[in-house]
Amino acid sequence: MAPNVEQSNFFREKRDKGIVVVKDPPKFDLESYIANYDGTTRLNRLHHIGASSTYLAIDAYHTAIAEAKRGKNVKLYLSLVEDLSNIAPDDPAALSDMAWAEKKSREVKEEQDKLEHELKAYKNNLIKESIRMGNEDLGHFYYACGDWVNAHKAYYRMRDHCTSNKHLTDMTLRLVFVSIAQGSWLGVQTNLAKVDSSQLKGDERTKLEPIISACHGLAQMCTNSLRDAAKDFIRTPPLFLTAEPAAGITWQREVLSGNDIAVYGGLCALASMDRNELQSQVLGSGDFRNFLELEPQIRRAITLFCNSKYSACLEVLEGYRNDYLLDVYLSKVLATIYSRIRTKSIVQYFIPFSCVTLDEMALKFQVTGEFASIEDELEEMINSRILNARIDLVDRLLISPPTNPRYDVHSDALSMAEKYDHTLRLRLTRLNLLSAGLEIRSDKGQGKELLGGAGEGIGASLRGIGSKMGFQ
Amino acid sequence: MSSDLFSFLFSFPPDARQVHQKRDYDSQARSFVQQIANTNPQYFLKGVDTSQDLLEVLHPAVNTIAYLFTLRIRIATLVDNPKAQKHIPEPLRPGGSLWNKIVLFLETCDPVQIRYAGPEWKRVVEAVEVVARVMGTPSLAISPIRSAMIRLDPSTGTFTMTHLSFIRLCVQTRSYSAALPILDNYLHSLGPRIPQQVQESLEYSVACADHTNSGEYIHQMSGHSDKISLADVQEYYILGAMAYIGTRQFKKAMHFLEHVLIVPTSNVANGFMLEAYKKWVLVSCLVDGSMKPAPRTANGQAIKTVRNASKAYETVADAFTQLNNLPKLKAQINAGRDIWAEDGNTGLVNELRDQQYRFYVSDLSRTFSAIPVANISNAVGGSVEELTDYLSNLIKEGSLNARIEQSAKAEVGFVLRFFLDPTQGPLAKTERQQQQALFEQTQRTHILAEQVKGADYRLSLTKEYVEHLKRASRKPTASGGDVMDTTWDDSLEVDEDIMGDH
Repeated sequence: MAPNVEQSNFFREKRDKGIVVVKDPPKFDLESYIANYDGTTRLNRLHHIGASSTYLAIDAYHTAIAEAKRGKNVKLYLSLVEDLSNIAPDDPAALSDMAWAEKKSREVKEEQDKLEHELKAYKNNLIKESIRMGNEDLGHFYYACGDWVNAHKAYYRMRDHCTSNKHLTDMTLRLVFVSIAQGSWLGVQTNLAKVDSSQLKGDERTKLEPIISACHGLAQMCTNSLRDAAKDFIRTPPLFLTAEPAAGITWQREVLSGNDIAVYGGLCALASMDRNELQSQVLGSGDFRNFLELEPQIRRAITLFCNSKYSACLEVLEGYRNDYLLDVYLSKVLATIYSRIRTKSIVQYFIPFSCVTLDEMALKFQVTGEFASIEDELEEMINSRILNARIDLVDRLLISPPTNPRYDVHSDALSMAEKYDHTLRLRLTRLNLLSAGLEIRSDKGQGKELLGGAGEGIGASLRGIGSKMGFQ
Repeated sequence: MSSDLFSFLFSFPPDARQVHQKRDYDSQARSFVQQIANTNPQYFLKGVDTSQDLLEVLHPAVNTIAYLFTLRIRIATLVDNPKAQKHIPEPLRPGGSLWNKIVLFLETCDPVQIRYAGPEWKRVVEAVEVVARVMGTPSLAISPIRSAMIRLDPSTGTFTMTHLSFIRLCVQTRSYSAALPILDNYLHSLGPRIPQQVQESLEYSVACADHTNSGEYIHQMSGHSDKISLADVQEYYILGAMAYIGTRQFKKAMHFLEHVLIVPTSNVANGFMLEAYKKWVLVSCLVDGSMKPAPRTANGQAIKTVRNASKAYETVADAFTQLNNLPKLKAQINAGRDIWAEDGNTGLVNELRDQQYRFYVSDLSRTFSAIPVANISNAVGGSVEELTDYLSNLIKEGSLNARIEQSAKAEVGFVLRFFLDPTQGPLAKTERQQQQALFEQTQRTHILAEQVKGADYRLSLTKEYVEHLKRASRKPTASGGDVMDTTWDDSLEVDEDIMGDH
């Protein structure tokens, strides 16, 4: 079955488009992995795994289709079935159940009418609480149908009818939730900021803390701000693992689990922090330890990095590359994170040396697919000013350039003095011209006068320019 | 020949013992010029070509004013308005007796006395230029004019129309290096003269005094120059930049072009700015390897206008920086061939093409400490031998701190090895050299500080202040001197602050 799947149209197209497709089996078990999640994210993750892993595709799509059929999102169901039929046309589940789809669509339409009708009635009664709840129901309904835009609108309409801080916070959390589903990370961040500045006190507030920092971290990671993401994840309180649902959402099941926080946080930290910071803020953090215990390999990788065993660290991470590629959020930024960790390891590795042979470097850092040889990779790093070193292609050495601070200070001073000297001259010229009353004024006679005054030498070229300025 | 006139002509300069005060010398010089101008020109023409010839009797370095007047009248009678070669009489032609006397005069005249005879000085200098041009040998005028300018003002920092005609001559005759002694001097004064009222109140303000700033005795009223306009200044700077480009001093050329870009403007640009901007884009590439942002002193709106009209140049500059895509620059250059030709910048653009390799190679020094020449030739094309020659030329020129060596391994061949330590290799500077350079820079900065002071002083003489002085002079009790002194002190402190910040 597997080779068939790999050769299917679906994956061939993906490969043609340059999207990463994972062939090898991952280290986790699909059943137990997906059992950690509920709601939209469960379907979303199944869909992603199905679309990325040739090994798990069939299983993932089966589960996803069965799941989708229990929900209200007919569009998603149809697209899942279409994907599956592209992968395995003979599979019984690949035939779309049109009767169900039609029936469901009708039901959905009826429910929508009913909810809208109810809302209208509430609006006529002018009872704030009812209008709020009507909007909330409509939001839940749209959300279940996968209509994120309308869900967002419906939730947003609750704002005018919120009567307590709790309501306001719940509404904003809902908006965060929808924004995450939409993948609009800017929206996530603005709404989280609103939650953060809400008036809640005491217990209520402590309950929200973990959610805010976890979601914020996620949004930062997805927008490539790895350092901020790492900080957010690290300061997520362990309460997150056991937190009660907020705004009717079980965040650790419906958005991201504790394991995710450990993996995301650990990787972002590895990619963005230096060894001291890793030691004190990641390994030494009491809160984050709880998460790290869930994913021991991340803990091991960070410890290895801190102990300067870079190649072992990279090996560990490389082993889990496939798993992380199957993560719906991580897959998009994984390449960046991994290459940053790798370049950072190379830089850190090279610091104590004045000279290392290229063969030794190649041995320590196995070449990944990105570059043809370690020379190319190092060249790229030096060119982008990440690594301060020079390559000796003749003796095959990586050399740390000698520094001469005294010389540098002298030449810097000289060039700076020259620069200021020149700037001052320019200003003085301008000042002199001004005090002599010489200035270009925007009258029309200027052009003629200029051409007349110009010498024969450049008069001709100026005429050419004059005409060109007209039409360019 | 009347002996009256003779003794009169010799009456100036007076004996050094007689003149204790500069002020006395000044008034004597002025009255002497006045009188000599009123003398009948016929007197000066007597005894030509005899031993009694005034030009033989008078000494150019001592009786400068008298000699100058004689020269001027002699030239004027020989030729009124030369249009063709045949109208120029033999003595005035280059190599002729009068020509030689003029040249000798311009080289040896007394620098203080010519301050008083501005119009005559200007006419003689102009005559040199006109004669040389009409004779079809304009380059012969360059050296006399240059000596005249330096004689009058050793700093040549006060802009006169002579500057402009001089640089025109140099650029037209392509004698770029002849222009350098003048170009290398910064133009520190373009301003108007110090108002009469202020000058009178100053003790050492007369023209013959030892001025630090030549702008105090060269101005419109002194007759050394016609009225200057902004276009003249801009043209001088552009032509100067072209001369620097001609001598391949691109950095100085860039600085000159920047002077054109920063002229004060009410949000409009003129053709000179456009011309300068185009060249500046190219030259700054040659200097720094990439286009820099325009100088901040420049008017933003005006720069925007010229930028919009120079898109092609910026595209080339952009292609120039893409060292990993060498063919792109060639393609861009070919695509815009007509534009470069029309603007007269083909030479510069070609220079860009040739120099890109240099930047490519020096860019390699940031990545490699040693690289086989074969590797470079793979990247840029060309045979290893050609490239090796090219690289050794670069090293000889002083644009690469590296050496070429033959590798011990036969298959590697020639190797380009960069010197990583800046204190080693052919371009290394010893600490003493660096110290010397720093010292020279300090000197330049001090001179500049003086010039800033001068400019600041001129700027402080506002119309309101002059009005105030006029009123004060009517009431003899008021003292303008005190007010002046404080201004000086103030400006001094401000200046030192400016320098301290840097």
